[in-house]
Amino acid sequence: MLLPRSQQPIRAALTSIGRSASVGSSQVCLNEAFGQLSIIASTPVLTFVRHASHAQQGAVNKAKDGPGKRLGAKKSGDQYVIPGNIIFRQRGTHWFPGDNCAMGRDHTIYATESGYVKYYKDPEKNPKKQYIGVVFERHQTLPLPRNSARRRRLGMIATKIEATPIEAPASMAEELDTDTEGVLVKKRSKRGEGERTWELKEGYMYRESNWEIGRAAEKANIRVRKFKPGDRWVAWKKKAATAARAAEKRRLGRKGKK
Amino acid sequence: MPTCQKSARPLVGCLRNAQISPQSARRIRTFSSTSRWNNEVAAETTTSPAPVFDPATVTSKKGEKALMRSGVLPIGSRRRRAALQTSDNIPFELLPYQCFQEARKVLQKDREEKLEAIKRERLRINNLMAQDPSAIKGGETQKQVRLTSMRKYLEHLKILADINDPLIKKRFEDGLGDMNKPIYRYLADKKWRKYDRLVIEQRINQLGVVPDVLPYFDPTADVRLAFRTRNVQPGEFVDSRLSEIPARLRVQVFDKGERLVTVVMIDSDVPDVEKDGFSTRCHYLATNIPLSPTGDSLPLANVNSDQVVLPWLPPFAQKGSPYHRYSIFILEQKPGHVLDKVELAKKVERDGYNMRSFVDKFDVKPIGVAIFRSLWDEGTAAVMQRAGIEGADIVFKRKRIEALKPKKKARGWEAKRSSGKYASLGKYVSYRK
Repeated sequence: MLLPRSQQPIRAALTSIGRSASVGSSQVCLNEAFGQLSIIASTPVLTFVRHASHAQQGAVNKAKDGPGKRLGAKKSGDQYVIPGNIIFRQRGTHWFPGDNCAMGRDHTIYATESGYVKYYKDPEKNPKKQYIGVVFERHQTLPLPRNSARRRRLGMIATKIEATPIEAPASMAEELDTDTEGVLVKKRSKRGEGERTWELKEGYMYRESNWEIGRAAEKANIRVRKFKPGDRWVAWKKKAATAARAAEKRRLGRKGKK
Repeated sequence: MPTCQKSARPLVGCLRNAQISPQSARRIRTFSSTSRWNNEVAAETTTSPAPVFDPATVTSKKGEKALMRSGVLPIGSRRRRAALQTSDNIPFELLPYQCFQEARKVLQKDREEKLEAIKRERLRINNLMAQDPSAIKGGETQKQVRLTSMRKYLEHLKILADINDPLIKKRFEDGLGDMNKPIYRYLADKKWRKYDRLVIEQRINQLGVVPDVLPYFDPTADVRLAFRTRNVQPGEFVDSRLSEIPARLRVQVFDKGERLVTVVMIDSDVPDVEKDGFSTRCHYLATNIPLSPTGDSLPLANVNSDQVVLPWLPPFAQKGSPYHRYSIFILEQKPGHVLDKVELAKKVERDGYNMRSFVDKFDVKPIGVAIFRSLWDEGTAAVMQRAGIEGADIVFKRKRIEALKPKKKARGWEAKRSSGKYASLGKYVSYRK
């Protein structure tokens, strides 16, 4: 329905071009033809408008630029490092840890020995991977020749053992005391007492350290039977004991009330 | 069913049962003149004889233990023994399965073919050996090449002839295989490569024995290590008191013939403070020890004194030093090559022993290794004292590595409270001079 109406001026223009071609001066004819091409305003025409439908705000478009994560090399080649020094920060494994280096949980490469940083490739190990290593002397190179002994550093000093005089266990000496008849009698003392040290702690109170409190049972020689999963005998005994205790308590309670 | 058949059935059953071996546990009660079962029990309750266990059919843990205590090992797996208990133990030839017997015939025919081929190959080898090398294209060298390849093929045929025999498989699994025969050596090698070799190979790589001690190593012999009665797995930590006496080795080689071997124990982690590194030490060296596939036991304590170059030095790891790797290498000497003990004693030193150069200099080939590790323990000091080794009073401590940045002066809150005024605070006075 729409098409023939819009084609009408084009058709008229085309016929006028065809007519004028026989007459002569082509330019005049062309102008005339284009004049006829002009769409007559009175005829109804459909026009389409594309409105903006792309969300501009909210979470649609991610932030294009966040703060930098300060990735990259923290130590350059041949630079001196000590154990724990971070050599390279990265996302993913652009670099792999080589000799005397290790990789952290976010792929950070750090040194495990003191020495000089070397960035290298080891085609015999892997043709694509690149490694970061630490050598002990600046002139040394990586990778090492195939099957050659590893370079290893002791990193220790030899000292004499301090002579520790072997003492009789103090607690035993205390506990065993000779009676008037010369018979060894065990002295009663509170278990685990004796070697407790009280220090002034935070909050102006004298008390033991938490770790010492945690070892109190061990000091008092309290042995707890190790829990064995599936040991029905012990479980039954425990359950029976608990039930008996509860029953006893209930009985006593009732008595007290009555 | 006619009456005569009915009446004859128990008799037939009895006759059939007579063929079943007495080991069979599944016994059908047959005609007998002896007393009934419960009568027997009533009579025997007074005397309870010690139970006798059969190593082929014992399944209870108690029975196995009793047998092992008496020095007899139970045969095969417990599952197999349990199966044997209820089986009638009929030999293969008499098993009443037609398909099985037909299959056996096929296998037997194949074996005969292989035996023929072996005969032919032997003849060809003899013919070639009789031939004059000048008549052969390529001369003497080509003749030798052909001979070796033909011998290799002959060995291959020998294995093929026996590989499908169920009885051979059974005998191998029972541990009754004769290691002089190629088929049993082949089966043992296959079994070793399936698990134990993988383990030792892994330990060699994990513990860095290969780049540190030798540049390359391909184990071909199974070496098992034990101290006294304790078996040691590859790479295990061994108590110094246990390793004070020489180790017991069991070396299984899988190729035929007797050869001479050199046994070396090396510690590749001797701390060297001057060098700030590690050096090596030879703890044991014995040479010209005969070894064959059949005689695999090699207790280092019983090696002849004319074979021992460096006697056993007990492994010791000084206090604080990182773990020591001890590797006992079996080095095969060239056929007919006897090493001179005196020369070895002159040339080899305990400290700074270099395995690479030893292998090159004396032309030996490493075939097997046993690895264990050691750390300082309660017994080490006494072990060192007994062996006359000094240095039990030395302890290794970590060297402090100076930080790159200078220490910052205390500032702010901490600096303010670092004076003596706050000493009573306890925790907060750590900055005191």
